[in-house]
Amino acid sequence: MSIIAVYNIKGGVGKTAASVNLAYLSSQQQGKTLLLDMDPQGSASFYFRIRSPKKFGAKKLLKGGKHIEENIRGTDYPGLDMLPADFSYRNIDIALDECKKSHKRLSKVLQPLHEEYERIILDCPPNLTLLSENIFYAADCILAPVIPTTLSLLSLEQLFGFLDEIGQGRDKVLIFFSMVEKRKRMHAEMMRSLREHNGVLGSVIPYSADIERMGIYRQPVAAALPNSSAAAAYESLWHEIQNRLPA
Amino acid sequence: MQQPGADTWYMPDGLQVDALLSALAAEFGLDIAPEYTATVVYADTFDWRLFQQGYLLHCHGHAWTLYHGDGGEVTVQQGGPELQTTCFSWDFPPGSLRDLLEPLLGVRCLLPLATVSLSGRQIGLLNRDEKTVARIVVESQKPAGMGPVFRLIRLFGVRGYDHEQTHVRRILEENGVRKTASPLVGFEEGCRAIGRRPLDYSAKLNLELKSGDSARQAMARIYQALLDTINRNIPGVLADYDSEFLHDLRVAIRRTRSGLSLVKQVLPDAVSDRFSRGFGLLGALTGPTRDLDVYLLNQGEYLNRLPPPLRPGLNGFFAELGRRRQVEHKKLMRALQSRKSRAILSAWQRALRSQDRQPAPLAGMPAGELAGRIILKRFKRVVRDGRTLDAATPDAAVHRLRIQGKKLRYAMEFFSSLYPKQEMQTLLKQLKKLQDILGSFNDLSVQQEMLRLTLKNLRAGSRRNLELAAALGGLMQSLFQEQQALRTHFVEAFEQFSNPETTALFHELFSKNQESA
Repeated sequence: MSIIAVYNIKGGVGKTAASVNLAYLSSQQQGKTLLLDMDPQGSASFYFRIRSPKKFGAKKLLKGGKHIEENIRGTDYPGLDMLPADFSYRNIDIALDECKKSHKRLSKVLQPLHEEYERIILDCPPNLTLLSENIFYAADCILAPVIPTTLSLLSLEQLFGFLDEIGQGRDKVLIFFSMVEKRKRMHAEMMRSLREHNGVLGSVIPYSADIERMGIYRQPVAAALPNSSAAAAYESLWHEIQNRLPA
Repeated sequence: MQQPGADTWYMPDGLQVDALLSALAAEFGLDIAPEYTATVVYADTFDWRLFQQGYLLHCHGHAWTLYHGDGGEVTVQQGGPELQTTCFSWDFPPGSLRDLLEPLLGVRCLLPLATVSLSGRQIGLLNRDEKTVARIVVESQKPAGMGPVFRLIRLFGVRGYDHEQTHVRRILEENGVRKTASPLVGFEEGCRAIGRRPLDYSAKLNLELKSGDSARQAMARIYQALLDTINRNIPGVLADYDSEFLHDLRVAIRRTRSGLSLVKQVLPDAVSDRFSRGFGLLGALTGPTRDLDVYLLNQGEYLNRLPPPLRPGLNGFFAELGRRRQVEHKKLMRALQSRKSRAILSAWQRALRSQDRQPAPLAGMPAGELAGRIILKRFKRVVRDGRTLDAATPDAAVHRLRIQGKKLRYAMEFFSSLYPKQEMQTLLKQLKKLQDILGSFNDLSVQQEMLRLTLKNLRAGSRRNLELAAALGGLMQSLFQEQQALRTHFVEAFEQFSNPETTALFHELFSKNQESA
């Protein structure tokens, strides 16, 4: 069992698309998988056409146990379940702050789920908060999608700084390039300069209309268009992550 | 919360699939998958090793599917061998299916069981977001060789959508879908068509005796169960599907012989004597093939005992054993089909069914009394012989003790249904520990003797024989060391078996005073 958090401080970097597709591939290849939509916008939930349950929210999530169990939903794909997000997650830091050992709370509520699921994937909101600290504490691997631009690199520096500050190792972080446009020279140069960096994966997710259209057909690319180049890119990324994860 | 397992019903005769679908379409979006059709062959071992663990396995040409029978969840789907008559776990290509099958099947082969033609459609039921909230499958199952087609409808829930599932159930019920069905009806009926029923065979002796039965009645039932086992295994021995048919056959013969020698004066002496000889003969004629089977099954283990450079020396040896086995098996086939063998079994059947002209002295004794008497006697004998056991006991004496242990074990198994289950299991477990060590010891002894004879008959002079001799030497060394190591555990194992607690339990369960109380 391992927990993968898909995270970036910046929004709009292809984070949710990656979570959704990797969760789908995980369920196909590694067995039962749970996708946790932690982002109050609920984009991952939207992609799977799952609405937030009526009596569910940040407080219930942090209570854990049956409050989580009862609100897990089966997706359209056997072996892939999801805990949908709720809008109340936007205030989750306040709720977290009231918990004992507030930076370990998420890890604790996820503990019982290890029995049922081979893998848990967290789709995280783009910010640096107490929730992020919880996520980094709980995750075995922090997967950061990065668009090869100057600002994205800056956000990576911020992430590493934050990890140092909370005493989490930088080696948990795996980086992959996302929304890459072949014809942009800056993308190519940025990628070349970073390639040697530790934890940078070789697989690249291209900027792709097929991925953008996920919002219309509301399925993982890997399920809807298994023969597309986007699906192949996620497949290769997933393969690489698989090999890097602790057994 | 309802589990996302499946519920299965029969489609009512008058109900058309389209009518049902339009009823569902009034409340849900429908996502109708293309129709599938396949003729599948279900496979399992003769003793249902997969079914026992809740698994069903079927193949369709080279495509194999293993799934859990109750939830209908597919565990693995993979390519594999074509199932002509039989196949073994090692016939599958390496992969997850083989990894799952290997420990389940062991040395047993898969036999084709029911052949069923399946056709059906899966329909996803969608909510207003076009999210799948439940699935139904309408499927026709037609077992080969049978008239009827079973029309089934199955409902699979999706986690977290209980409310919608209840809704679907209501619609089904309104359309007359009420009679629940086994999702395996096609499989079960298909088995029936070839004269099988799930779990209809087990090598274990499963009898429910009553303490008040007469000794004659009880023994007749035990012998009958053993005779059934013998008869059921003969076809598999003749066809040589796998080595376990012969093994089970031999165990049943040995148990019968044990019964005849342990339980005196329940059958008339003349009958006991006659069939002791008869089953002795059957035991003897099945021996050589089984011995060779054991060596051939041990091939991998033998090779592992040797350092790699010596291993090639055994190639010719095992090839020769394989050839000898073919010859022995032919002899065995002839012997089993001979008039004499068949006459022994049919005469035994008649003897069990008929009344004894002159009932034996103990024929009317209550079964409980007989059982206690025999088990206690065997127990005392094992304890008496075992006391002399130590690290220096000669092999032959260890062998005799092993035989005594076996007799006790058989006696306990014959009558175990007359005694409380838990206590019986405790005692059998204790006995089994002792038997395991004695059994392994004896196996090692017999194997060394066989290797010694092979070596003795080996002519010097050829390169091949030289290599074989070196390998045999290596093996004997390894077997001998293991055997010596076992000796050091004798005393400890026997003391554990004969400890005051176990002894007290034996007396408590089987002594006569207790029986009448």
